[in-house]
Amino acid sequence: MRLSLTYQGIPIWRHSRVLGWTAQIVSGIVVVAAVAFFIANLANAIDERDIPFGWSFLNREYSTPISEHLLPYQESDTFAYAFLVAAINTLMVSIVGVILATLLGIVVGAVQLSGNWVISRVATVYVEVFRNVPLLVQLFFWYILLLGLPRVSEGFVWLDSFYLSNSGLSLPAPRAQEMAVPWLLAVVVLIAISIGVRAWLARREERTGKPSYPLLGGVVVVVVGAIVAWFALGGEPFAISVPHPEGRFGRIVDGATLSTELTALLMGLIMYTAAFIAEIVRGGLQSVSKGQTEASRSLGLGTMETLRYITFPQALRVIVPPLISQYLNLTKNSSLALAIGYADLTSVAKTMTQTAPAVTIFLIIMLIYLSYSLTYSLIGNLYNRYIQFTGG
Amino acid sequence: MATADTWQPAPSLPAPRSERGWIGWARANLFANWLSGLVTVVTVPLIAWVLWRIVAWVFGTADWTLIASRPQQYLIGLYPTELAWRPLAGWLLVSILFGMAAAMWGGAARRIAIGYGAITLLLGILPYGMFHEGVVMPGWIRALIVANLLTMAVGYALGRSSHWGRPRTFVVGGIAIYVVLLVLLTGLPGMEQVPPRQWGGLMLNLILAVSGIFFAFPIGVLLALGRRSALPVVKILCVVFIEVFRGVPLITLLFMSQVLVPLALPENFPVDSVTRAAITITLFSAAYTAENIRGGLQGLHPGQAEAARALGLPGWQVTSLILLPQAIRNVIPAIVGQFIALFKDTSLVYIVGMLDILEMGRSIVQGNVQFADNGRELFIFVAVVFWIFTYTMSYVSRRVERHLGVGVR
Amino acid sequence: MDGQWNRARGLSFALALAFAALLGVGCATTGEPATVAPPTEDAAETEAAQAAPSPTESSRLNTVRERGRLVCASLNDTPGFGYLDDNGRNVGFDIDLCRAVAAAVLGDADAVDIRLITAAERGPVMQSGEVDLLVYVTTWTTSRDTSWGNFVQTMFYDGQGFMVPVSSGVTSAYELAGAAVCVNTGTTTELNMADFFRQNRMEYNPKTFEESQVAFEAYKSGACEVYTSDRSALTALRSSLENPEEHIILPETISEEPLGPMVPHGDEQWFDIVKAVMGILIYAEAYGIHSGNVDEVAVGDNVKAKRLLGTEGSFGQDELGLDQTVGQTVIKLVGNYGEIYDRNLGPETAIDLPRKGSRNALWANAPCSDCPKGGQIYSQPLR
Repeated sequence: MRLSLTYQGIPIWRHSRVLGWTAQIVSGIVVVAAVAFFIANLANAIDERDIPFGWSFLNREYSTPISEHLLPYQESDTFAYAFLVAAINTLMVSIVGVILATLLGIVVGAVQLSGNWVISRVATVYVEVFRNVPLLVQLFFWYILLLGLPRVSEGFVWLDSFYLSNSGLSLPAPRAQEMAVPWLLAVVVLIAISIGVRAWLARREERTGKPSYPLLGGVVVVVVGAIVAWFALGGEPFAISVPHPEGRFGRIVDGATLSTELTALLMGLIMYTAAFIAEIVRGGLQSVSKGQTEASRSLGLGTMETLRYITFPQALRVIVPPLISQYLNLTKNSSLALAIGYADLTSVAKTMTQTAPAVTIFLIIMLIYLSYSLTYSLIGNLYNRYIQFTGG
Repeated sequence: MATADTWQPAPSLPAPRSERGWIGWARANLFANWLSGLVTVVTVPLIAWVLWRIVAWVFGTADWTLIASRPQQYLIGLYPTELAWRPLAGWLLVSILFGMAAAMWGGAARRIAIGYGAITLLLGILPYGMFHEGVVMPGWIRALIVANLLTMAVGYALGRSSHWGRPRTFVVGGIAIYVVLLVLLTGLPGMEQVPPRQWGGLMLNLILAVSGIFFAFPIGVLLALGRRSALPVVKILCVVFIEVFRGVPLITLLFMSQVLVPLALPENFPVDSVTRAAITITLFSAAYTAENIRGGLQGLHPGQAEAARALGLPGWQVTSLILLPQAIRNVIPAIVGQFIALFKDTSLVYIVGMLDILEMGRSIVQGNVQFADNGRELFIFVAVVFWIFTYTMSYVSRRVERHLGVGVR
Repeated sequence: MDGQWNRARGLSFALALAFAALLGVGCATTGEPATVAPPTEDAAETEAAQAAPSPTESSRLNTVRERGRLVCASLNDTPGFGYLDDNGRNVGFDIDLCRAVAAAVLGDADAVDIRLITAAERGPVMQSGEVDLLVYVTTWTTSRDTSWGNFVQTMFYDGQGFMVPVSSGVTSAYELAGAAVCVNTGTTTELNMADFFRQNRMEYNPKTFEESQVAFEAYKSGACEVYTSDRSALTALRSSLENPEEHIILPETISEEPLGPMVPHGDEQWFDIVKAVMGILIYAEAYGIHSGNVDEVAVGDNVKAKRLLGTEGSFGQDELGLDQTVGQTVIKLVGNYGEIYDRNLGPETAIDLPRKGSRNALWANAPCSDCPKGGQIYSQPLR
């Protein structure tokens, strides 16, 4: 008898690579099958149940007003353009909200750690109240509160150019004229030049040791250049548009208007998100070892300087990742605008579904929201990498 | 001349009066420097004024008839009154868990259980007719509510016993109670059926949130593992799922579940709009949970997995017995945070026409012209109810965090 | 090791249980429509065996009788038409129409299951045939008639109007240029408004809200000068104001909104039954029969009234599969059209929608002494 000494190896069905591939193929097939199933049903529904579908509506006139828009908009504009207008509205809310919520959140977070008992308690109460109540409820609350302002005919007027009522706040705003584009281009060029000037002055200061005021130099280039361009272009690039009441209802037209709906939306989003950001900031500041503060104080830095140069840069590494997810949340939460009448992306899309295929509309707004989210994530990740490397 | 052995240190004096007691406290915490003093002087009257306005409004101007006249609708929505024993019985079971928790963990758990018991007792014995004439809470309902204290006692006894009072019993019992509760609310075959469409009020918010986190958790674990998988197909699928569900507002997803999903399903597919909404909320929450757990997994030292492999554990055991338990322990606070967010998000189910506590109130305001002016009262009431729950949860989370020593390395 | 094993097993068992529970709930939920849907062959056979009116009888009536409940899709946020009373019960004009059908078919006006749905769900719910009746302030339009189900009868004439504060001095909708208009999104109201302003080349500033509660808050506070909705809703909301006399509803009506119940496609007998019940409600009022005097009239000397109540002749009750005295049951349990109107929208209610002289008055009393009275509420004669 001979013993077989050849190594049999593990059975083929237990080989990890085989298992791995099987898992991949199976899950791939399942997902593809599921997607195919849904799409087939969808196609079926579109065919048989006369569910409208298609993209041709994008070139049709939307012919429904949008109450508020950052971009110019008329009812005769197309659906595609209306999407753009609504998407920009959401983007604007998102950007303004993110900036203000961050500022407020940092302040509240820092105040929570303040030595003054009263104000640190107030900050804590603020955080605990605002992050624990559904945003929808808060939005209703703010909106109803702002509606308590006097109506437009009895509103506050200041210098005949600032109007405040429960329809919103109107104030003078620059309005672009014919020469606006060339002037803005000139300013962009000037800024580029000024960066060069600043760098040159800074190098000179380093080389010669004489104070050369690089920052001041740069600013002077831009300001002087802009003024010269303003007059040189012949015709003012911007005129001031002053708001004024018009028509039998005394509605305020012209100027720039911050409507009640937008204000309530921003207030709600900012107060809500800032409560979360405050907690993140507090956690970040507390994560910096106490020895750092003590060392800094013993080197003679003041409280504010310690916070600014020692504590905060280190805390930033802990703060940034969760902060970005708060930015994402704020952007997505802005879709609650439809409850209080601000024309954001979701709200406009919902109106559109009455006259255009819902399937297509939802695909479009999903893509828009996804692109916002991914952009925020990308910027956040880049910044995160940057601070991790430089270490403040 | 004093020698070394006769020298006595002067007796230490008490701190000056200005550094002691409440004066000292005030000097340190309210008037440490001129800025702090200024802040105190400005804020204290401001707070007093705000508080005064709030009190004056709550007890003076506000008209709470909207709430006081129909407590039942805010609690269980339009669940049939004659079948109200079902949610009440489910509530009794849930109270067992509170009793057990109080016995097993003491401290914060006990405090929460006491608060919970107090609120329950209050709901049971409150003279509802006092707030609004004609509101009668039947005696048997009161009895069933107060009976929660008994089941809490039972739970407490169970928690004390060495046989039952173990975390495993608690978890398994909790899941069992949850299942029984759902079956009870729907109705067993042969009993009158109450479809989820008719569930409402605060009960609905709680059920949706608990179901959401409960199902989101296993799905989230799978997604997190899938995202870390070495298999590219699995990984891509998980990444796409997570990013899509995290990148789109829940409200948009809910709209789609109502408008788009029915079209993508065969006609007469047996999933109604409420179930679709619950599934949507669950998947949304699962994507977030997956990211939390992934964070926990990333925080583990690679040595853990290597050591487990060196001991000869197969891959799935390394994951399920070594890596996941540690990762989950590390992210419990994040998951509780997610749960709080989920609970707040349940107020969005109004989109599918479900009457959660907020929408219940809004439909009362809209349908009854006598309440058309009471929006403020409704929102304040709903805010307070939500706040009680979410604040309790975040309190628990903080205690757990401290208990587990998360973040202390 | 062992402990961990047990724990893992316990956990997976618990998870399996939970999933099973979800499935159970899902099935229980979804089991319900199945019972509502047209009955299976078994049920049809049983019916045939019982020799109910005739083997060719349609299934909807039998399904409802077998179930013992009438399932109506309705709403809960419109004052007067469908809302919740203090006890959480569904009440309103539309709910009463549902109750009248239940009284006719089951002999019990309370044997109704009200399924609350959103406006967007109306089409799908009717198409799937899950419910027996849709009573949801739904406007009768051709496309809905073709794709959703069959409209039975106009039971209420509505139209979109505008409300403004008296202080604005506006007396006509054509003076609304430049105004801010509060409106609900997601309904034809918004589109009608856009059409109206575009047609008349007037600039305006729309503020669209998801729910009327917030939209009306905005109007009350003066953030918009105009509130637009169906006239019935405007009247109801106006009466909820502190000083209703400070607001007027402008005379122009910018849309036609005939409202009425709707039945699913595919069952003509059921369609006819609901039509007959609506006829009973309307003619009972015309003949002066109300819940208080049914018994007297039934033995009185008015032939038409007696035919309606089933004490003399017939209007086809048998062929419809209804009791001979169905008229008596309906009027006794629910009341005639006028009673339903008064109970939900009349002067006694907070809404106080005037009926006399409006389109919702009866076309005529019978015997016709002063025809026409100018109203449009009319139905097929019962004979």
